Amino acid sequence: MPVEIVTGNHAAGYTLAVAGEANRNARGATCGIYPITPQTEIVEKVAAFPFTKGRVVPVESEHSAMGVAIGGSLGGARSFTASSSNGLAYMVENIMVAGFYRLPIVMVAVNRTLGPPWNIWADQGDTLMLRDFPWIQFYCSDNQEVTDLTMLAFRLAEDHRILLPVLVSMDAFILSHTLQETDLPTQEQADRYLPDLELPHRMRHDDPKTLGGLVWPDATTTLRMESHEAMLQVPAAYEQCRTTFKDVFGRDPGAALDTFHTDDADTVLVASGTVATTAREVVKRRRAAGEKVGLVKIRMFRPFPEQALRDACASAVKVGVLDRDYAAGVGGVWWQDTRAAFQGRRDDLLIQGYLVGIGGGDVTPETVDRVLDDLGGRDAAGGPVWTDMKPEEVVA
Amino acid sequence: MVEIRIHGRGGQGGVTLAKLIATSRFLRGMSVQAFGLYAAERSGAPVQAFCRFDDDTIVNRNLIYEPDHVVVLDPTLIGPAIVGGLKPGGWILLNVPEDPERFASEYPANLVATVDATAIAREHGLGTRSVPIVNTALAGAVARILDFPLEEVVEAVRHLGFSDANVAAATDAYNAVATKKPVSVPTPSDNGSARPGAVQPTLTFLEGGGGSLPLVKTGQWASEQPARQQYVPPCNHVCPAGNDVQGFLHALAEDRVDDALEILLRTTPFPSTCGRVCPAPCMASCNRIELDGAVNVRQLERYAGDRGNVSLVPAERRSQRIAIVGSGPAGLTAAYHLALFGYGVTVYEAGSQLGGLLRTGIPEFRLPHDILDMEIGRILDLGVETITGVFVKRERLLKLAQSHDAVLVATGLQELRGLNLGVADAEMVVQGIDFLDRVRSGDHDIRLDGEDVVVVGGGNTAMDAARSSLRLGAKSVRVVYRRTRNEMPAIAEEIDEALEEGVIMDFLTQPVAIERMAQADGDLGEHHIICRRMELGEPDDSGRRRPVEVPDSDYAVGCHRIILALGQSPDITVFPEGTEVHEGSELLGILETPVYAVGDLATNDGTVTAAIGSGRRAALHIHQTLTGEVLVEDGQARVRSDVDVWHDEVIKSDALRMHLFERQGVTEGAALEPERRRTTFDEIHAGLTDPSEAKRCLSCGVCNECDICITYCPEGVLKRVGHDLVFDYAYCKGCGICVTECPRNVVFMSQL
Amino acid sequence: MSTAIEERGMPEGAGVLTAIPEIPCTEDCLLRPGNTNCGGCGMSIGLTMLGRALAEANETAMFAIPACCGAVTAGAFPTTSYGVPTVNTTFAAAPAVASGLAAVRDMNGESGQVVVWAGDGGTYDIGMATLSAAAERNENIIYICYDNEIYGNTGGQRSSATPPGARTTTTPEGKREDKKDIIGIMAAHGVPYAATLSMAHPADFRRKLMHAFQTEGMSFLLIHSPCPTGWKSEPGDSVELVRLAVRSGLFPLYEVFEGKRWRINTEPDGADPAEYYKRQRRFKLEDLDLDTTRRVCAERFERLKKMAEVFPA
Repeated sequence: MPVEIVTGNHAAGYTLAVAGEANRNARGATCGIYPITPQTEIVEKVAAFPFTKGRVVPVESEHSAMGVAIGGSLGGARSFTASSSNGLAYMVENIMVAGFYRLPIVMVAVNRTLGPPWNIWADQGDTLMLRDFPWIQFYCSDNQEVTDLTMLAFRLAEDHRILLPVLVSMDAFILSHTLQETDLPTQEQADRYLPDLELPHRMRHDDPKTLGGLVWPDATTTLRMESHEAMLQVPAAYEQCRTTFKDVFGRDPGAALDTFHTDDADTVLVASGTVATTAREVVKRRRAAGEKVGLVKIRMFRPFPEQALRDACASAVKVGVLDRDYAAGVGGVWWQDTRAAFQGRRDDLLIQGYLVGIGGGDVTPETVDRVLDDLGGRDAAGGPVWTDMKPEEVVA
Repeated sequence: MVEIRIHGRGGQGGVTLAKLIATSRFLRGMSVQAFGLYAAERSGAPVQAFCRFDDDTIVNRNLIYEPDHVVVLDPTLIGPAIVGGLKPGGWILLNVPEDPERFASEYPANLVATVDATAIAREHGLGTRSVPIVNTALAGAVARILDFPLEEVVEAVRHLGFSDANVAAATDAYNAVATKKPVSVPTPSDNGSARPGAVQPTLTFLEGGGGSLPLVKTGQWASEQPARQQYVPPCNHVCPAGNDVQGFLHALAEDRVDDALEILLRTTPFPSTCGRVCPAPCMASCNRIELDGAVNVRQLERYAGDRGNVSLVPAERRSQRIAIVGSGPAGLTAAYHLALFGYGVTVYEAGSQLGGLLRTGIPEFRLPHDILDMEIGRILDLGVETITGVFVKRERLLKLAQSHDAVLVATGLQELRGLNLGVADAEMVVQGIDFLDRVRSGDHDIRLDGEDVVVVGGGNTAMDAARSSLRLGAKSVRVVYRRTRNEMPAIAEEIDEALEEGVIMDFLTQPVAIERMAQADGDLGEHHIICRRMELGEPDDSGRRRPVEVPDSDYAVGCHRIILALGQSPDITVFPEGTEVHEGSELLGILETPVYAVGDLATNDGTVTAAIGSGRRAALHIHQTLTGEVLVEDGQARVRSDVDVWHDEVIKSDALRMHLFERQGVTEGAALEPERRRTTFDEIHAGLTDPSEAKRCLSCGVCNECDICITYCPEGVLKRVGHDLVFDYAYCKGCGICVTECPRNVVFMSQL
Repeated sequence: MSTAIEERGMPEGAGVLTAIPEIPCTEDCLLRPGNTNCGGCGMSIGLTMLGRALAEANETAMFAIPACCGAVTAGAFPTTSYGVPTVNTTFAAAPAVASGLAAVRDMNGESGQVVVWAGDGGTYDIGMATLSAAAERNENIIYICYDNEIYGNTGGQRSSATPPGARTTTTPEGKREDKKDIIGIMAAHGVPYAATLSMAHPADFRRKLMHAFQTEGMSFLLIHSPCPTGWKSEPGDSVELVRLAVRSGLFPLYEVFEGKRWRINTEPDGADPAEYYKRQRRFKLEDLDLDTTRRVCAERFERLKKMAEVFPA
């Protein structure tokens, strides 16, 4: 398929559908769909797709959209859905179930500010609230990444070493509604890339089992440990999926994190999503001006690529973390995880958190410049910095 | 700090007991904890609760592994597990009625106290019958053994808002506790440890787990368990022939006609006959009367007799020979059974045909010849020899006794009762029995056209004579009877049918004289019969109210013929002088051969069915006398082994769950119209066209495999294996639905 | 009267039930012995009857069970008391999960029933939207609500299926509101089949299950399910209680086809509702307005009768 100019939503919806269709020779595909701005286009795209063996169930809520995906997955079908913001919040109970049931469901989420008050613009707070569930999470910086990670997500999720659901996130409007040149997968490529789904614990009449009965503490501990071990296998499995992806599609979907000028950097920015691409421009400019700044763009939030992050910051003395999200009373979520990655290993490192583009505020190169300026002037980390506020309004 | 562990079952209130104990200490200013070990257990499952109290603030939050005392709410939980980790010298409080000494050997290292908290709870109406709530009672008992004043527990009970009944239960238990000191010096290791080990990795659903069978033996939850019992159905109890009425109805209900006949033939060779002429006391005693009318057992017996097909095979031929005098129902029944046992049987009959009163005394419209012939033929097919036309008198009887191994005399009632009516015209007064015999043997040649006939009596012979008279053309037939309809011995249906056909009945009427009227021109001699009005006085020996004459009440009824049907009495002149005739007992004084009198001759009962029963019992007696083999008479004997408890008592309707049965009217089968009947000796009843009427049988007190219990068993632990009902006690929780839902009361709960 | 009265009282005939195929007490049972449901549990009876009907129809089933006693019935992992593949769903999600299962079954051309086995809380309350949506989509599933009129799993709180007058831990003075007319709600969705079932009428119960097995699209079955623990009744009285509910008109047995045609299966025989109430300690006779109850029952039945007359099945 030639490169097309499509929105992030189009790319996601189309890729979900093609991936589902690729399971037509096995047990087919199911998808529960429910609209919410700004992801609605995704489910519209899926609903319009002429599946050979697939059922799109137009349900009454996000909760049921995931419910259908759970049922379909338990039946052995490739299952997926999409949502955003409060829709995800309403879906949370079943999102959890998909993870605990180890179902390889893929969900595309368009990051939108949680309400009320109502705000439809980009903010990662919605998907980051799911951070403690057994879900793999990816954050995309452009439509091509949305396409590629969505495709890769199925192969990764359905890997028998993994069997975890995958969330692929993109910023509202900035990606979801922005037309961009994108190399979309052909059905033939998808068929080649995705093996038929065989869920080992799918519900079968010839082997009646109960999924989700009571578990005693010992069995619960075992199940949690098993999830944890699957999470630990993700980086290696991801790399394999990435290699195969390159073979089939002829391009690299990227590593768990990308580094940019980090090798000798004394100051490193950590960012994700579209903020990371804007930051990259600033870093490029400042490097040209001789500043030893670098950038880490994290693609995979769960499991958090701690070791790769530590490696990327080996030369750094200061790290600034850009968060387009807010965890109450703490600051940014990415900031917390970054601090945790260095805790006890690089206690000399100054790690400062910056809240940028909250509620969909436009993150400009100037925003990143302000961050770097603040970071450069610091000799100790403080509370989260509300970058978009005038300095006199910021509560330290 | 004092730590108490409580073992109970879900629903008994173990956690609340912990709370009660804790509250009583809290109200004294102590630091307390009370908590349960929560899981998915439901009512009845073993559960644990814990209680701690101390003067200092309690800070640890883990479970109690080495309790100072344990309390056991349910007797069925008593075992080694309850003392796991229990400190030596601590109390074990058991909810049992037994004395604590009973547990001395089991728990030598501890103090044991017992109280029957269950009884106390039930007495005060706490909880349900199957799950009494024993916590408040046990709180009282705990106070007693731990030396708290009763008031402190009462205060705690009230503090938690419990009713006066709970206070009373606590008080009763406080006063009723029995205690025992340890029998040995306790050592710390006596009760082992209850602490858990480290978490072991377990199977997960990704590894294929989640499909294993449950491990919980829920039978341990039960405080009661169901078992099977059986009662005697009233129909079986009253059947003079000893038929297994319930049994053959059950077979018919399942459309197993041959099986039904086989069951009947175990006791009677005359199902087709009894199915027509039996007074059916089974129907009079049928519990279904309370619902919508008795099961039509008579017609169903006829159905089985007429339609069933059973081939009988006698036992191996025995050497002994038995003579039977009389071929009525008693004699032929005895012959039938004895032939089946393998004896050589010869029947002596004075008349020219076999059957006795069955043949001579019952008109064809009730019992057709071919039916009787068929049933007698079945007996003869067993190898019974018959000699007709021989009137056995005393000398002949003695000879028979010499030449046989046993003799059975079944000559029936040969003495006909007369009535002193003054100057009677021999021709116009006739005995009913003779009349019926003549009618029958004469192929209805005699005609009574234009006659007014009076029949005296209230039994079946009276009815048969009256109805035969109508059929022979009588202008009018009037039955006079000195009591009321209620006292009439005739089968109710026969009375009804006679009335339908136009027989007039004068009750409370006694004929006292006959006056001959002036001879009219016609051939018929007309008489006046003088009747006297009666009224009912005090009951006589038979329990019926004695008729008493009403003074000055005589009146005259014109008639041409009087038929007497006043009953018969036995002629025992065949026996040596002074022989006392009792049914079933061997008659002494006649050589060494056992001689028996059976049937009406011995019982004077007067019904075919009683004669059949008598004949069968006599056969059994003879067999027992000759072989020493004791045979159980009861048709129900086979099921006794299948039930847990056998009740010899007859089950009454109040022991059945009558509301579980749907109302459904009696099926009668077709009958000739009364108008048509008056002109023919054809059989009135056509019989049933199908056996569905048998489904109306409630099967009182006898399992008929309706499997309602299996249908409703929530656990699916009730199974039918063949004809047996099997309870899986390993899993039965003892809910009792099989008991409440059994419409016929054949499942009951037994306390464990 | 043109209303079809198919069955009256029980046992059918006059005491002889049709033969029930023998189900061995093994893992083949839908509800396995060793389950930890309370003694006398109506849900257990319903499951057992469903299991027999499935066996008789040579059918298989998959269960989607939301939070309810039925979810706990499975027991502790790795054991299960269910002899059919079962998934415990979140409280409101069972019809959605079942929709997914049914979709995969249908697109793969497979047989077997997809059954939602849910309590009244999951049906009348938290799951109502999901149920309504599945009904509107006419999903090819059988939704069975065993209605014990209480949140039993949590220890006995009111639901919108709790009858007026019943005392629960959250209505200590007795509930004031009437039950939702759930069959009316489902009929309004036009589902192919909606019916009430009473285990005191086993032949009718069986027939309705068989009909549901044959129905394309959604069947909604409402089982009046006695709960000795929540109703504070004798476990042995369970079946008798639901029988009384039918006899007194508190729980009429009827069917609605496609929301358009009605059929009454059993006519109340005039038994006094007081008999029903007296045997359950969740009711206090002094709380109840029996005259109103009798009138409401009579009116409800009159309405049903009218529907069955005007729009007969």
